[in-house]
Amino acid sequence: MARLWRFFRRFLRHKKQLIGGFLCIPLAQLADIAITVKIGGALDRLRAGSPTDFLAGIFWIILGLSAFKGVFRYLQRWWIVAVSRYVENELKQELFDKLVSLPLAFHARSRSGDVVSRVTSDVENIRMFLGPGVMYTLGAVVMVPASIALLCTLNAPLALTMILPLVLMGFGMKFFTPHLHRWSEAVQESIAEISSRAQENFSGIRVVKGYGLAAQQCARFDEASERNRQNQVNLGRSRGLTHALTHAANDLTFVTILVLGGWAMIDRSLPAGDLFKFIDLTFKVFWPIIALGWIAGMYPRAYASAGRIDELLAEQPLFSDPHDALRLSSPRGALTLRGLSYTYAGAAKPAVSGVSVDVPAGSVLGIVGPTGSGKSTLVLCLGRLLEPQGVLELDGIDVRRLALSDLRACLGYVPQDSFLFSERYRDNIAFGSDTELSDARIQELVELACMKDEVAHFPKGLETLVGERGVTLSGGQRQRTCIARALARDPRVLILDDALSAVDTETEAQLLANLRRAGEGRTVIVAAHRLSSVARAERILVLGKDGRVEAQGTHAELLERPGWYRETWQRQQAQKELSVL
Amino acid sequence: MSSTDLDPEEDDLVSSKAWDNAILLRLARYAKPHARLFYASFGVLAMLFMLDMLGPWIWRHALDGPVHAAVSARERDPAADIGTFVRQFWYWVGGYLLLVALSVVFRYHEVAQLNRTGQTVIADLRSRLFRHMQSLDLVFFDRRPTGALVTRVTSDVENLNEMFTSGLVVLLFDFVKIVGVLAFLYWLNWRLALVVTAGTPFLIGVSLVFRGGARRAHRAVRARLSRLNGYLQEVLQGIRVVQVFRREKAVSARFAQHLDGYLAANLKTIFLFALFFPVIDFVVSAIQGTTLWSGGLSIAGAQLSYGEFVQFWFYLALLVAPIRELGERYNILQSAFASAERIFDILDTRPTLEPEREKTSPPGFSTLPLRGHVRFEHVSFSYTEGTEVLHDLSFEIRPGETVAVVGATGAGKSTLVNLLLRFYEPSSGHITIDGHDLTELDPARLRRAVGLVLQEDFLFAGTVKENLILERESVTEESLEEALAASRADELVARLPGGLAHPVAERGATFSTGERQLLAIARALAGDPRIVVLDEATASVDSNTEAQIESATRKLLEGRSALVIAHRLSTVRRATRILVLHRGKLREQGTHAQLLAQDGIYARLHRLQFAESAG
Repeated sequence: MARLWRFFRRFLRHKKQLIGGFLCIPLAQLADIAITVKIGGALDRLRAGSPTDFLAGIFWIILGLSAFKGVFRYLQRWWIVAVSRYVENELKQELFDKLVSLPLAFHARSRSGDVVSRVTSDVENIRMFLGPGVMYTLGAVVMVPASIALLCTLNAPLALTMILPLVLMGFGMKFFTPHLHRWSEAVQESIAEISSRAQENFSGIRVVKGYGLAAQQCARFDEASERNRQNQVNLGRSRGLTHALTHAANDLTFVTILVLGGWAMIDRSLPAGDLFKFIDLTFKVFWPIIALGWIAGMYPRAYASAGRIDELLAEQPLFSDPHDALRLSSPRGALTLRGLSYTYAGAAKPAVSGVSVDVPAGSVLGIVGPTGSGKSTLVLCLGRLLEPQGVLELDGIDVRRLALSDLRACLGYVPQDSFLFSERYRDNIAFGSDTELSDARIQELVELACMKDEVAHFPKGLETLVGERGVTLSGGQRQRTCIARALARDPRVLILDDALSAVDTETEAQLLANLRRAGEGRTVIVAAHRLSSVARAERILVLGKDGRVEAQGTHAELLERPGWYRETWQRQQAQKELSVL
Repeated sequence: MSSTDLDPEEDDLVSSKAWDNAILLRLARYAKPHARLFYASFGVLAMLFMLDMLGPWIWRHALDGPVHAAVSARERDPAADIGTFVRQFWYWVGGYLLLVALSVVFRYHEVAQLNRTGQTVIADLRSRLFRHMQSLDLVFFDRRPTGALVTRVTSDVENLNEMFTSGLVVLLFDFVKIVGVLAFLYWLNWRLALVVTAGTPFLIGVSLVFRGGARRAHRAVRARLSRLNGYLQEVLQGIRVVQVFRREKAVSARFAQHLDGYLAANLKTIFLFALFFPVIDFVVSAIQGTTLWSGGLSIAGAQLSYGEFVQFWFYLALLVAPIRELGERYNILQSAFASAERIFDILDTRPTLEPEREKTSPPGFSTLPLRGHVRFEHVSFSYTEGTEVLHDLSFEIRPGETVAVVGATGAGKSTLVNLLLRFYEPSSGHITIDGHDLTELDPARLRRAVGLVLQEDFLFAGTVKENLILERESVTEESLEEALAASRADELVARLPGGLAHPVAERGATFSTGERQLLAIARALAGDPRIVVLDEATASVDSNTEAQIESATRKLLEGRSALVIAHRLSTVRRATRILVLHRGKLREQGTHAQLLAQDGIYARLHRLQFAESAG
């Protein structure tokens, strides 16, 4: 319970609405009971043979009480459920902020589906338990004792016996719930089976058709479908049992009232109007009690969810800034790497191993190598997205002595997956800058990234949405947009992680020229598959499969030596020739 | 609520159709074979309804009969003997207990039977749907995301369960109940019944109006939530960019905006529901108040007994319950209609190729030993109008020959495979086998006669053995053994725990590309086909597997007509003929040596593709 208590306290912070809502609950419930009392009283007066003119008054009283009850029911729901939504949003925001602050290592090891479900369904489980859960619990807590107390004043033995069936139902539920859980899990599993059978068939449809397997596949699918039907039928049986049990409790309560109430009437110890009160209040108490059962069923889920949320909130960033962090006022952009290595958690071998190189401010460094040689890893280490071993200096200062924000402020980064947001095109470019950008500046960036003509053809120009709901950009367009975004912050060091692969060679040449022209004195790091991207770099690092530097030098120097670089260059040239045939 | 703040496409997340006779009739046809289950469900519901009606009747008779008599007797004479009345009272109680016991039984069946009915109908429909999909061409699968197709056979079908049970059956019965209870009320006391009848349209109206609003509000919430979650996923995906650009605060603010939109949509829903229940309750109270007023007058005038009043009160509760649920059922129906439409959409899709039925000619195609003479005559093909993938292609594979096709990515190589196996039909030209046009052959038989090895070959969940046999009668234990030995896949199988009985995970995920290709070759060999279609894997494999694949490939091609999309130098070198495809056209053809001497496209391709393996 302690685990959920913390979330409950967060809920209680919204004092005003909750106090209001909590006050409404007894008012509404008491009005509801009063209606029953009024009707019962009227019946007694009728039997006593009093004149009927009081009936009009009773009618208006009932309407008035009902309106009164309605207003408080409305307010109670409106306030309490709304608070549960506020708390939901607060939690989601807190989780979100946590997530964006966590290091790449965390994101690399966690499945995004799992993380998303913590922010969505786990938060929802807690909200349901805190909001509607608390509201219904309080409702039942007021309604049940108040009704029973009232009925006790009329006929205590009857009122107390009435509770018996409810208690029996409680025990019965305890017995049936495990069955419900078991079968609903079985149903989930068999649905998953159907889904994976279908998935497998549809993805392997060429083999299915090629080998004429349709009949066999149908038979297997039918099997899974039948298994699911069986489980569903069994689940239906368990549901039927709980359904019957709940109603049985209700029916038995009525039996009790008929027996003891009828007997008491014969005994003349219970007036007819009071018997009516028993009947009507049983109708009214029944649903709050059902709700209690429902909430009890929610508890284990909410508890588990609270644990999963706590776990995420307890994640810590890998490193924090030193207290005596040095401030960089005007960085130049010179990088020094000494024995830089990085090993992914759980990996046997380092992805990058012992890389040493000097990158003078304003120079271009190319990083090439076969797939899996650690190009991206190395580039990520430069922005401390991954925390490498060895020495990394910016302008001669160890980056660990700098504030992380200062280091990143002077970096522009173009990711390999050319990630863009589903926002307006201009927002995607402006995302790169710490300050507001003028239209003129955005136009300039678009031009630098060789996107001017294409953007002009977008339905709404710069205002066009990117993604499913707007324009779908080609790989090359995405890459160029990412470059514009990186240039928007006018970085001292620009990092391109295989960011030109989908751009045709002509545009690539133009882009590289633009980058050179616009970035006087800017350091550029280009990791690439296509060697033409790095051919004009001052220095090229060739990484090997083991993440070590296999060779380095200028393009001309590397071409002179036999090895991966020369072979790859020749192959790529041949490919280029072929493509123009 | 206004929906102007949402995009139109998000607005039709749910089909706007509230009722569709055509869909209902069609669903009824699928339900027809299971009519017995439906009758049983109706029977249970009818019994339950009768029991529900009987209970209050017992109450009335117990109260008006023995209880009233006993009370009156005692009023006249406090010492009167009321033994008979008491005995009578116990009879009624006994009857009531019996009724309660029966109710428990039927309540159980109410849920269990309805559920069994719905699940049986949809299991049947699901199988039909899947079977139908199996008959559709590759075009159908190629044009639709797999995830969407899976949704059709899972959640869409699942939605129809609700349609058959809580939607149709219960809805129908709710109407019966409302009408039945009302009729009964009239019989009981027409004055009171008039009061209730006057109130009922209000109840139904309020229920429907509010649920309509609630549906729109729910739709807005779903749209907002999907945007919120979409943004979250997007940020997680782009976390590197966010962190390098130090935009944590900016994305947090954007997320907050999404949260605000989501909250606003939620508050509307809360508002509607907060209002709905009190308003319904108020209408019910008004009906009850009037009942009391008018009933009170009747009681005073001795036209209504106390027992009748209580009976009436019970019936009122019976009447209100289904009306309260009416709106909810209506919403269920609506979302089920949308699913039904999507399912029928697929059931209405016809295969574009000839239906896969027995062909009259040529006689005994499957029994006669095929020679395996394949000819492509002026074949052109385009997947979409206007962009030709293959252009005027003619070549032949004589029995026993291996024809290797090479070309850069996108040259149209895999299209050749699609056409030869008749996954697609050429836009013009002919393909013949042993002189028979492909269109004369039953595609299923054609495909069974061909040994197919795909590049990223597919293994199904099951055992290795099942995957190798694939339900072909022609494959015996011996031919399997032979194939394994010939392809040297037996070495791989021997390494697996359990050997041939080793379980294969979904899509063969535990096997490497090379291993999968090796098993696929063994699988093709086991069928001893006359024609082989082989799409070699491009992915690099370890040298041991590589050697195994190479020798297996040699065995597979030996003495058979083969179309090979070649990536291995060894395969190309041994081919009878090499076809060089470039941009959909046959540009060169000849043996390895001839083509190298020509120094054309093949020579370049050779330098490019095979440079590494050439060493």
